[in-house]
Order: sequence, then C-alpha cells, then structure tokens
Amino acid sequence: MQTRLVLPRRVVDDMIEHCRAGRPNEACGLLAAADGRVVQAFPMRNAAESPVRYALDPREQLAVYNTLEERGWELGGVFHSHTRTAAYPSPTDVRLAGEDVPYVIVSLASEPPELRAFRICKQSWLDDTGEIRELEVTIA
Amino acid sequence: MAVQVRIPTMFRRYTDGEATLQVEPGTIADVIDQIERRHPGIRQQLLTEQGELHRFVNIYVNDEDARYLDRLDTKVTDGDTVALLPSVAGGGPS
Repeated sequence: MQTRLVLPRRVVDDMIEHCRAGRPNEACGLLAAADGRVVQAFPMRNAAESPVRYALDPREQLAVYNTLEERGWELGGVFHSHTRTAAYPSPTDVRLAGEDVPYVIVSLASEPPELRAFRICKQSWLDDTGEIRELEVTIA
Repeated sequence: MAVQVRIPTMFRRYTDGEATLQVEPGTIADVIDQIERRHPGIRQQLLTEQGELHRFVNIYVNDEDARYLDRLDTKVTDGDTVALLPSVAGGGPS
C-alpha cells in the first residue's frame, strides 16, 4: 500500500506556477512517472473553466497518455488546485475520481500554497464515495 | 497484428495489472465482449444497464472519439488502438 509520494522540486514548482496562472479558476494537469517515480508535470487546460470545478479535456488527456507511452512512462498522478479552500479532497473530487493514482491538491488559499497528496480508494470508479488516504509528500 | 486496448489505472484490478490488452478486430462492442470474457467485471464499469457507454468514460479509436464515430458499432481493425479514458474531474466546495 502506497504511503509516500516523492516529488521533484521542479515538478512542484511547475504545478504551483500553473495553478497560480489559472486563477481565478481551478487549474489541473497530470503527472508522469518513470519506474514509479514522478518525473514531470503536464499542466493542462481546465475544460470546466470554473473557480470551483475542474475537468481535463479528453483529447488533451489522450495526447498526454500518448506521450507517456512514447516515452515509456506511466501515469503518476493527477493534480488540481483549490483556489479558496484547503488542500483536501472535496466530495466532488471523490465522486469524480476516475484514475487510481495519487491526487495532488494545491491550495492557493494560503501563501505559500499548501500542497498535499492523497489516494482516493473506491471499489469502482462509478462509486460516489471512497476512502481518502493521505500520502506523505517528500520534495526532493 | 491485433487491436491494442489501453486499460485505465482504475480498471487494472480486473486485468491483473495489465495496462494494455491485445484483442481481435471487430466493433467496439465486440472488443468489450472479448475483454469481459477474459476479465469478468469490466463491462459493467464501461456500460450502463441499457448497454450505453457510461458518461464518465470516453473511448477513442486512434485519435477519434467513438461517440462521434459509430459509438459501440465503430469498427476497429488490426493495428488500431482503442483507448478507454476515464473522465478526470472534480472540484472544491462551491
């Protein structure tokens, strides 16, 4: 069972920069991993264009997955921002969690931003609820 | 040569961790049947009781959204890639 998530400093900086640039809307993106270690952030468009919702554009999502495959990487996580609330999964985050990977949340409610990571454990991706397990984040 | 199907992370519990599967050509519905026979349980994750694609999953054939092709009747041939893409979304309290 995964308990930790190691994030390179550059990846953290890229996520925070993208989240700040996306204000007042939420921002989102994907993380790539190689051999189980996060190696790169893919800042992406928030198709929901909302301060309280995010959604990846499926076509852009597919393009990132194609890049991961070309480079021999795997999906290492999903990240998004909360612009005014804490870095903790909302009921909407749990209900709509569609990938079984770490979910990184960047809260812009404080300065410097707060970054936390979670696994959202669901029996099925169609479940509305699930268990939230926080991961210990190490920035290396 | 076969059809390559990309399995999202949430469904890999049904495929013994496999990220891609090779299946025979046919329609998307045939592809789902083949996967279900090998890995029971995955069909109900993809299709509603009415047999329609769940709205939180997208199926791409190469780079085309199957919803804008022939949906589950879309034909796939040797060398095609079928990507099962879960929607990735969420949001904070409003």
